[in-house]
Amino acid sequence: MKKILSLALCLLLLVAFAMTASAELPNFLDLKVGEDYTDITADITVLNHRTDLKDTKFPEYIAAFKELYPNVTVTIDTITDYAEDSLTRLTGGNWGDIMMIPALDKDELPNFFIPYGEVDTLSEKYNFIDAWMWDGLAYGMPSTGNAQGIVYNKKVFEQAGITELPKTPDEFIAALKAIKENTDAIPLYTNYAAGWTMGAWDAYLGASANGNGEYLNQVIIHEKDPFSDRGDGTGPYAVYKILYDAAAEKLIEDDYTTTDWEGCKGMINQGQIGCMVLGSWAFSQMVEAGPNGDDIGYMSFPITVDGKQYASGGADYSFGISKDITEDEQIASMLFVKWFTEQSGFAYSEGGVPIDKSGEYPALYAAFDGIDIIPDTPALAGEETYLADLNAESELRFNNGGDAKVQEIVEHGFNGTKSFDDIMADWNARWSDAQDYLGIEVNE
Amino acid sequence: MAQTLTAKAPKPKLSFREWISLPRVQKWFVIVTFAIVPLLLLLVFTYIPFGKMIEFSLYDRSYTKIRGFVGLKNYTRIFTRSDYFDAMFLSVYYMGGALIQLALALYFATLLSFKTRAGNLFKGTIFFPYLINGIAIGFIFKFFYTRGFVLDTVLGFLGFNPESLPYWLRDQSINNYSLVATSVWRYMGQNMVMFIGAIMSVDPTLYEAAEIDGANRWKQFLYIILPSIKTIVMLNVILSITGSLSAFEPPYVIMGGGASGTATYFIKMHQTAHIDQRVGTACAMAVVLMIIIIIATILQKLFFRFVLKEGVDDVPERSPKKPRKKLARV
Repeated sequence: MKKILSLALCLLLLVAFAMTASAELPNFLDLKVGEDYTDITADITVLNHRTDLKDTKFPEYIAAFKELYPNVTVTIDTITDYAEDSLTRLTGGNWGDIMMIPALDKDELPNFFIPYGEVDTLSEKYNFIDAWMWDGLAYGMPSTGNAQGIVYNKKVFEQAGITELPKTPDEFIAALKAIKENTDAIPLYTNYAAGWTMGAWDAYLGASANGNGEYLNQVIIHEKDPFSDRGDGTGPYAVYKILYDAAAEKLIEDDYTTTDWEGCKGMINQGQIGCMVLGSWAFSQMVEAGPNGDDIGYMSFPITVDGKQYASGGADYSFGISKDITEDEQIASMLFVKWFTEQSGFAYSEGGVPIDKSGEYPALYAAFDGIDIIPDTPALAGEETYLADLNAESELRFNNGGDAKVQEIVEHGFNGTKSFDDIMADWNARWSDAQDYLGIEVNE
Repeated sequence: MAQTLTAKAPKPKLSFREWISLPRVQKWFVIVTFAIVPLLLLLVFTYIPFGKMIEFSLYDRSYTKIRGFVGLKNYTRIFTRSDYFDAMFLSVYYMGGALIQLALALYFATLLSFKTRAGNLFKGTIFFPYLINGIAIGFIFKFFYTRGFVLDTVLGFLGFNPESLPYWLRDQSINNYSLVATSVWRYMGQNMVMFIGAIMSVDPTLYEAAEIDGANRWKQFLYIILPSIKTIVMLNVILSITGSLSAFEPPYVIMGGGASGTATYFIKMHQTAHIDQRVGTACAMAVVLMIIIIIATILQKLFFRFVLKEGVDDVPERSPKKPRKKLARV
């Protein structure tokens, strides 16, 4: 008993020591990877969602990092159902040293992670660093960046006689119809059954639909009836209308309830699918899924605002470093994150927008020539939690697990059980109820 | 203090070893040491989480963040919004399925209790689905129902026109029946084995006597078998009804988390807690479900006791416990 007690006491002291010791950390921006702290010794665990890379690319990354820091042992821990299970792991504690930050509210960040520094200074060097900002500090370093567009099969579009990529919702639906008439391919594959692939439609609400990066975090939270028809083919209404119309015109897969996410990659590669509405991260997976990688192309979302097209951009999952580990482990973690961002080439090989501003853009963005990639501007001070609160209260959950509402659009469109305007009216009602309940000011 | 000391003084002072070996002390010692382990487990893994759940249901909170105490607001939300009770309504499909399942199980059990050719083979075959993991069953049926796969092919062989067949999972007027069918397929064998066990205990001389009296098989079933096993039938009815209220696996696995109008109350609860991150509301839903299950169980007992005037006192009392355990984990 005494032994256990003394052991517990020792542990307590250690933890207390670790907490006080973590006060002085090096400046993330000034860290020189490969030069500073080369003799540091630490074991760090990286919890992430890339189950597919755990035994393929990650060991290579770790080996390369180990050449610079031979005494740092990096362990990769992955979770299949990351979005849900990582939150449970986070609350349970003891999840490791670095993790991909799950869907937390911004004001909770300081409870779990250490900041990398001020967003203002970091943003000169890194893209999308404001994705996890709280109180002016950056808590997450994006692993890679995404631009939102549509992954499509060039050959199928060619066979359908589409010479110019569609730029408006009407042109897009016309293109899908041409695919249906002229080829055997499924014009638009929704990936309905996987769920999260439907939630991916929310990613176009920002710059893609409005040409305005402030829309999602600053405008929609105060907007009255944001889901109403603007009449010019822009805005949230236009985004979801494309899906509804495609479903209503039977331009999607026949039995959408039994779609298979892994299977769709090979299908688009072999020209059985015309296009899929997914972020740029999906591009490299579609290319690698079969022999016809050259047929895969990437285009921007078919909404034109005042004659110009835009693409929403944003951070993929971001690395957060635990605040409850020793100083050495935190420094080693910072080194790893910095190395991963600047030197691993991860963003490039995943077809992502580079996080390091001096990084190279992969070839898939060729079609984005002349299209501005605009990240979502963070919320104004004092309004950081508004979007999350509205999401929770309205249960629409934009960009935050709201898959079911997009699935319903497909169901209602396909079966003709509810008109699109009714669905949007319902969303408007839920949104304004939530605004009322939370006491958020609404601009008429 | 002094008084108690003087009061105790006349008693002969026993050493600890003597005291512990007294028969009455020994008896209590054994009872306590044996009971403490299961009681502790029950307390730690059932009652404390359950108490916490009731506490959570009074807060507006996610797993990581407490937004504040809201009193009964979570409960009023459940009762004022239609979608939670729409989900509850889906249980009716599963209850209907449960009754069909019990009738089938009773039928097969009766047949297989008598001498049947290859009886054990049939018993094994019918019981087999129960041994398969529920998630695996989900994947089996996902492919089974996919357009142009197993079911459509088999029906095609039987002469149905594949074009005119419905989409088993997409068509929202039948997809709940499809899901219930998987549940019937899975649990029927288990019910059957329980019924066979009960029928074995019937005195076989009764059948002989009945046969001499000229009773046919149907009458033997109605007047000998059914009355003898009514306790076990009751138990199965209660278990199936409470089980129907907590249907989860078929829609979750086959329909990818309850899409296309197949989200049962349990699915809705899971979505509320884990996707909407409204843990308070989800806990309130769990409490409401538990109350409904308790009421349903009491009603069934009263129904069988007073309407059918049949004693069901010997039904084991543990029926509501199983779902409650599940609830406590939400």
